[in-house]
Amino acid sequence: MSDNDNVITVTGEWRKPPINVDIDNRPFYDGLKAHKLLLWHCNQCGAWYWPKSYCQNHENEPFAANMEWTEASGKGKVFAFNRHHWAFHPGFKDDVPYVYALIELDEGPLISTTLVGETPDDVHDIGQEVEIVYEDHPDQGFTLPRFRMTGN
Amino acid sequence: MAKHPSSGKYAIIGLGVIAGPQPDRHQRMVAAEAARLAIVDAGLTPADIGGAIDLRRTGGGGDRANYTDAYSRVLGLKNNFYFVVGRGGALAGLGIATAISFLDRGIADYVCLMGAVADWTHSQESKKQGHRGMSHADKEGYWGKALGDLRAVSHHSWMAARHMAVYGTTSEQLGAISVQQREWACKNPEAKMYGRPMTIEDHQNSPLVVEPYHLFDICQVSDGGIAFILTTAERAKDAPKTPVAVLGQGFGEVSAELWWENKHFTHMAVAPAKEQAFGQAGLGISDIDCAQLYDCFTSEVMFQLEDYGWCEKGEGGAFVAEGPIGPGGSIPVNTGGGLLSCYHLGDLTGMAESIRQLRGEAGDHQIEDCEVVMTTGHGGELLSPGMCSIHTCTLLGRGL
Repeated sequence: MSDNDNVITVTGEWRKPPINVDIDNRPFYDGLKAHKLLLWHCNQCGAWYWPKSYCQNHENEPFAANMEWTEASGKGKVFAFNRHHWAFHPGFKDDVPYVYALIELDEGPLISTTLVGETPDDVHDIGQEVEIVYEDHPDQGFTLPRFRMTGN
Repeated sequence: MAKHPSSGKYAIIGLGVIAGPQPDRHQRMVAAEAARLAIVDAGLTPADIGGAIDLRRTGGGGDRANYTDAYSRVLGLKNNFYFVVGRGGALAGLGIATAISFLDRGIADYVCLMGAVADWTHSQESKKQGHRGMSHADKEGYWGKALGDLRAVSHHSWMAARHMAVYGTTSEQLGAISVQQREWACKNPEAKMYGRPMTIEDHQNSPLVVEPYHLFDICQVSDGGIAFILTTAERAKDAPKTPVAVLGQGFGEVSAELWWENKHFTHMAVAPAKEQAFGQAGLGISDIDCAQLYDCFTSEVMFQLEDYGWCEKGEGGAFVAEGPIGPGGSIPVNTGGGLLSCYHLGDLTGMAESIRQLRGEAGDHQIEDCEVVMTTGHGGELLSPGMCSIHTCTLLGRGL
């Protein structure tokens, strides 16, 4: 699978709620723009987290300096999902029905997002394998992580 | 079982309720009026109130009372403290625990606790701008809004989906919860859904909002205010109405053990809260005459029935389908209709109902010989991205 298969480009006006970038998660969003999924990784014991946190397995250095953003596989499984039939925000009127899923990444952390590339009815069970798709928004200068199904 | 020394040492002696849509009044006046009613109900005057706590639904999906005024100012309370307590729908339980520390030290003789919302009125405005639900409660700092995680139901529904996938629970079984609570609401003229009976078929035919949830799996948005007065048992002896004693309280957070580590999406943080509250009171769940279980969605009721031990984990769907939580059932739940069918003022909905049940003031929905009631609350970020959500349990008893 070429890199291009994992990238979607969306241009035009952004009518949905804004993304929430702050000083703690900026590297995560910068990683997405570079088409890398970064998770918060403990250099001491190898544990993975998202979002940023102190490592739960041992004492930490001040401000969790024993940890850093590290590229992850971008692969995971559907842990739970639902189908939104109502657009609670007018920016989602053309999106419904859409599947909003909780993804259990292969490294362990959970992340939630929408699934793309399939119709909602194709998502039918927890445990389905997924991988990340980078949705570039060049006009706004950010990239969102979405996932698509790859296996059973 | 031995009681904790604090059990029964504090009591609720006054209650004020403003229910139903309030389109012609600002929340400020609803809040002050609910507090005034509670003070009068307690046989007191504003001069008796030593402190005021504002129960606001902060820290969850948003601040549901984001105006800057204080009901103590509006009402002219000459008290020593006024501040805000709350985490999502967990309000009254946290407020009681907080107020007790002021009563215990004699900083106040009587504390007024009040929560008011104008969610229904605000949601009517949101509709005109193309939103559905409580867009006024939107809060920055969350993961997922840009992607479509827009309301509590956007992520709470995962829990129902997990319970269905893991235990085979069905939508009809969840509907049974909604139907039984509606039966209670039809006995309560104060309930929004009074006079509107509902069947499982009605539940199944209601629109799919966020699958697996139908519209009738989801709580309402409401206007209103509820206030109550807390004091010491000693002072409560002089109150005009039957005092309602605080027998025990417990708290739990789902953050680490249940979610982060084990990814259990089919539990509430009941275990520590149950142990603390029932331990303090020296009681077990067989002593509970009715339970006001926080019901933001139908599944949360089922999780709590399992987690408290009325049935085994995973068997909640089959359990509720037998009809145990409605009128005449073995464990009456949300006896005024709950958030699903009465109105949604966080856990104050259940707290007000508990107080009425223990005073014998619940009218057609009164439980006979009601001596001990539990009220639970729930609130906070579910997974956006903070995996934290509080569970509170308050046990109240009739008399001192």
